[in-house]
Amino acid sequence: MSADEFNRGLEIALKADNSFSGYGDSKTNLKMLLKDRKGLITERVMKMKLLEVPEDGDKSLIVFDSPRDVRGVAVLSHAHKTGSDEQWLYLPALKRVKRVASKNRTGPFLGSEFSLEDLSFQEVEKFSYEYLRDEVLEGKEFDVIKRIPLDPYSGYTKQIVWVSKMDPLIHQIHHYDRKSFHFKTQIFRGYKKYLNKFWRPNEIHMINHQTNKTTTLFFEDMAFNTGLSEKDFTQNSLKRSK
Amino acid sequence: MISNPYKKGLQVVLVFLFVFTNTSVLAKAERYGEVSLENRFFVEQGLFGQGKNHSSFTLSPEFYFESEDQKTSFTFKPKIRRDSTDDERNLFDIQDLSLVRVKDSYETRIGIRRDFWGVTETVHRVDIINQTDQVESFDGEDKLGQPMINLSVEREWGILDLYALVGFRERTFAGEKGRLRLPFSIDTDSAFYESSSENLRTDFAIRWSQSYRNVELAFSHFSGTSREPELKTGLNDNLNFRVPYYAIIDQTGLEVLYIVGELAFKLEAISRSGQGGRFSAATTGFEYTKVGILDSRLDLGWIIELNHDDRYENSPLALGTRLTLNDLYDSQILSGVIWNEETGETNVFVEASRRVRNCCRLSFESVYFNEGSNSNTAQKMFEYFKQDDFARFEFIYFLGN
Repeated sequence: MSADEFNRGLEIALKADNSFSGYGDSKTNLKMLLKDRKGLITERVMKMKLLEVPEDGDKSLIVFDSPRDVRGVAVLSHAHKTGSDEQWLYLPALKRVKRVASKNRTGPFLGSEFSLEDLSFQEVEKFSYEYLRDEVLEGKEFDVIKRIPLDPYSGYTKQIVWVSKMDPLIHQIHHYDRKSFHFKTQIFRGYKKYLNKFWRPNEIHMINHQTNKTTTLFFEDMAFNTGLSEKDFTQNSLKRSK
Repeated sequence: MISNPYKKGLQVVLVFLFVFTNTSVLAKAERYGEVSLENRFFVEQGLFGQGKNHSSFTLSPEFYFESEDQKTSFTFKPKIRRDSTDDERNLFDIQDLSLVRVKDSYETRIGIRRDFWGVTETVHRVDIINQTDQVESFDGEDKLGQPMINLSVEREWGILDLYALVGFRERTFAGEKGRLRLPFSIDTDSAFYESSSENLRTDFAIRWSQSYRNVELAFSHFSGTSREPELKTGLNDNLNFRVPYYAIIDQTGLEVLYIVGELAFKLEAISRSGQGGRFSAATTGFEYTKVGILDSRLDLGWIIELNHDDRYENSPLALGTRLTLNDLYDSQILSGVIWNEETGETNVFVEASRRVRNCCRLSFESVYFNEGSNSNTAQKMFEYFKQDDFARFEFIYFLGN
């Protein structure tokens, strides 16, 4: 890879990141529809709070609503631009907050095709980049870049990212596993601009090519600048989350 | 089974609930909780002639209210358990009846609550706020509600929790017809205390905890009536009857969790005075989780924990594995063995559970006691449980909104 390819890759990633940034904080309801090989559909519902921390990494708090047996279970994550992220799990039945190793973020989340890593914010600093090519897909022009996670505990060895040339938004990601096998495709749909500043999709599809299962994530009732602060992303607030 | 103060309390709660549900200040009022049916099947008759089949029913609804600004919340969760055979396993407990208020970095929690301290998986040494509902489960993780006032301050330097624990809850023990019981009857009605205020003493506890990049650290101190009673012979020295005696203790605890990649190293240690000479006890070990074994969706976790307690000669070692299928049904299997080198005993357990539809969960647990062949004189851990091998099935229905 030439320095030129690296810089161009990074430049595209920064532009894409920029179109996501500046949201301050957000509250969203998440609905996941899990579709198995036979087309059987199962639903998961959760609430997510996010806090933008530009100088380090974003913070998130996810609380499960359904299925009922996991209601009240919550996950608090503090992402960091360098080094591993921190993560805590709250188990309401035992009233226990449990710190978990960050590698645990890479497995299937609530039986879905997403991992917690997929749901967390992808800080630009967490990857090295390479510009690959220009490509036309469904009549639109894309920059195709490769990014390699720097975190040794990432679930992926590389990701190929399609960034639209028109508005620098990520439209598709191919995920490669430890054996460098393309096993998941992530597709972003329904981008909307909020507060005249940043973009969010309202659907994310994750297709697992190994199992032929698909999970669709819907963002509902998205609210920004809701007044959340660092205090809402601590262990005490994790214990309070319902 | 319902004691008088509890009846009074319940009346107050019902009025409170009625008022709460009819006010519009509340942005959120939710109901959940669970109903469960359990059957324990013992392979043999008990050492004292107890029956083989025990079933029980548990109801624990939960009511949760939250103010519009989310700064005030109220929770009420009673728990009612009925056992087919053992009266001592019948229970009426208020697990939660508390008001939580948040202001800046302060949080006040007043009422009956449960709170957990600790980092290890097999033995919880440091955890002391709540009394153990010992007859509920073999792992001892089920607790009784504790009345308290808890002030929590959360700052850059960590979390400081101050507790005034108002009144005392007695430990539950299996009755004469119950299984997993000791070789004597325990007269819980005659329980006695070092404190002259008996079970109405106010105990105090303090805990500081802090999270670092790869470390969780906590120090705690508890001063009050021990949750762990000594079982004393009564006035007539009849060895077949024992009475729980609750001494006043001081216990200092340390919790450390250190994460290195996929490995979490854990340590819990205590030093306690007040029950004979000062003694120390510790549990240490690690948890390692391999995510996606053999390129599958399955996670396999390993837990190894070593125990030491100055009061006992033996230092049992616990080894466990947790297999998580990561399927639609959240299926998981936890199995393990507790091995005691000194006494030669092994205790094998398997716990498996999976979700059924959106509403329910089915679980299976099995425990085997093997007394081993050592002929030494060391006091065995499970000497009286040797005929108590059992399989337990539980079906839980989770109540919805």
